Amino acid sequence: MKLLRVSPSPHMRSAKTTASVMRDVIIALSPALIWAVYVFGFRALTVTLLSVAACVGAEALFCYITKRRQTISDLSAVVTGLILAFNLPVTVPLWLPVIGGAFAIMVVKMLFGGIGKNFLNPALAARVFLFLSFPSFMAGSFAAPDAARGLSPFALSIGLDGVSSPTVLSSIESGVDKRVLVDMFYGNIGGCIGEVSKLCLLLGLLYLLVRRVITWHIPVTYLVSFFLLCFMFPRGDDEALSFALASLLSGGVMLGAVFMATDYATSPLTATGKLIYGVGCGGLTVFFRYFSSYPEGASFAILIMNTFVYYIDRWTQPRRFGGGKHAGK
Amino acid sequence: MAYTFNGGIHVDERKNTRGMAAEPFTEPKRVAIPMSQHIGAPCLPLVAVGDQVTVGQCIGDNPNALCCPVHASVSGKVVAMEERRVISGAAVLHAVIENDFQYTLCPDLKGVDKPLEELTAEEIIERVRSAGVVGMGGAAFPTYAKIKSALGKAKHLIINCAECEPYITANHRLMLEQPEAVLKGIKILIHALGVRKAVIAIEDNKEDVIELFENKIDDKALFDIRVMKTKYPQGDERQIIFALYGKEIPTGGLPADVGCVLFNPETAVSIYRALSSGMPVVKKRITVDGDCIKQPRNLIVPVGTSFGDVAEFCGGVRKRFARLISGGPMMGQAQWSLDGVVTKGTGALLFLGEEKEEAGQCIRCGKCVRACQMHLMPALLAAYSEKKDYGECERLGAMSCVECGCCTYVCPGKVQIVQYIRNAKGAINEARRRLKEKGEGK
Repeated sequence: MKLLRVSPSPHMRSAKTTASVMRDVIIALSPALIWAVYVFGFRALTVTLLSVAACVGAEALFCYITKRRQTISDLSAVVTGLILAFNLPVTVPLWLPVIGGAFAIMVVKMLFGGIGKNFLNPALAARVFLFLSFPSFMAGSFAAPDAARGLSPFALSIGLDGVSSPTVLSSIESGVDKRVLVDMFYGNIGGCIGEVSKLCLLLGLLYLLVRRVITWHIPVTYLVSFFLLCFMFPRGDDEALSFALASLLSGGVMLGAVFMATDYATSPLTATGKLIYGVGCGGLTVFFRYFSSYPEGASFAILIMNTFVYYIDRWTQPRRFGGGKHAGK
Repeated sequence: MAYTFNGGIHVDERKNTRGMAAEPFTEPKRVAIPMSQHIGAPCLPLVAVGDQVTVGQCIGDNPNALCCPVHASVSGKVVAMEERRVISGAAVLHAVIENDFQYTLCPDLKGVDKPLEELTAEEIIERVRSAGVVGMGGAAFPTYAKIKSALGKAKHLIINCAECEPYITANHRLMLEQPEAVLKGIKILIHALGVRKAVIAIEDNKEDVIELFENKIDDKALFDIRVMKTKYPQGDERQIIFALYGKEIPTGGLPADVGCVLFNPETAVSIYRALSSGMPVVKKRITVDGDCIKQPRNLIVPVGTSFGDVAEFCGGVRKRFARLISGGPMMGQAQWSLDGVVTKGTGALLFLGEEKEEAGQCIRCGKCVRACQMHLMPALLAAYSEKKDYGECERLGAMSCVECGCCTYVCPGKVQIVQYIRNAKGAINEARRRLKEKGEGK
């Protein structure tokens, strides 16, 4: 008698796969990458490719050493590599993204069990690791767009003299004029590779929402709570609205809200949880910007909120259809 | 605006057979009629090897339990009474009847001679029972018991015409082809239950039926057609009731707890036949489809026809054929052989190829949480079940899972979420049973 294959129901699946979801994220990231190459020159591309290669290579190596099934085809390492590069200044020496990528994948992602199991965002954790280990390359000043275009794409390291300018972020308290705000929106300013063009990031957000890769909850609550806090408690002598707008358009808040706070593995599952998480990220970002000695707060804010995700999921467990006793409280 | 519920998914409908009229299937050389085709106690056989039987003759019953009699679906000789393993793993006695192709009708069958108004609920229930009517939407709960338990309790009679599973069009065709029988069956239910009217709940992808019913209904006060948004699992009784009345069946409860009772249109037709001609349930409407059957179609097959005979009738299977699903692709059961038979609860047979998906890892995308219309967190349930932490699964509401498959359908990581939850439910039930035994032992 011929036996048939017996498999559990359902016997039909949607066409979406992990790889197709990650491909959508890569597509959403690409406008910002193209813009980065346009304003910062080809060195931005070199740094990005090295970061991606380091992430994919690290995952392949880890799977090989530990004799696990190769998982690089799910493309999640590519996304990590892209986001890590987006958080680096274009002027970093070329070995830096390699170290960062290896750290992100090996230490933060694979040691905790691989995709979906890590409790910190790998790209962000790697960024903070690089930030604390190599502050001279990571902090302080960024290459201005015009000066950066002339940088050699392949020089291992480059001097910062002559190309760097203080970030807008460190000067917004002294007031910004309207034209600068427009430049900040389009991305004609200094900054990390992927964070400068808010327009490109918003295009990415739109794509992610249309493709239903993410929901509106985290980016909207993050940005709105951040904006409102800046608006209610402005600093410096500028008017509140223009200070809040400048804050929103500077630094890594937009990149964080769209691509990093929404990382699946490290954000809550429930809609209510996402709202709490988004507000937490927004509030902490303002807190770090106002009170810490670092100019940027989004990375620390998101990483701290990452650690609350387990509890947020517990607290916001939805009410079961049909009632019944609530669990996990 | 169409009625709907929270959660659920939009599936690829694949209702390829919606334009195909149901064809009668009369040629099985043999049928094997299981003594248990319903939820409840199995029937005790009333025939023995060598007996001649006629179409509609009662061949098994158990009057002292929750049980629904079974009947011969062809005329001929009983050639074997044998135990066969069914998909649940249980051994069920089957009466194998060799078809004499005479289709001699059982002489005892006759309709009621009184008009409907003079029949009491008890008389109707007795008729429904002796005709072996069970819920034909798939659950196969004895219909007489359902009517009995709903008497005086149910204020709302709902006819569940959602048919939300992909592929299946058997009910759709039934409603198009025999609208009068459906409506007459519903009238009997209205009368038996003593309700004012029936609500016909139908998904908006069956516009032709909605139009037809609107034309056919003579007594508008008795029927209320409600159009539901096409979404899976709209046909789940919990979600139909929620969509219509905003009420939730309490966890572990029944539709009667919120004053509702639901019937499937094919069940309604069976009730009508039971009263009009006395004909018991001996035939079943099924949809035969899937990418590995050569001629997808809708069929009316005698109960007890083997899957292999059905496949042959539909032009045979393709080379890639590897899986046979009895029921819809979302909740149907995979069969391990073509020797299984069509029962009263079979709604479809799907011939599919090998599964393409390889089980992967949860990426915590949250799609399953949004899809779950029971508002559970399937990703967490699967993760804890994988770790065999069934206590945590219980706290997270594993027992509320209806195994509709939405979470697993949408999962990009292709995790077998439902199977993990099933494992957890099995373990929780086992633990509860042990606890109870312990309590009784003291």
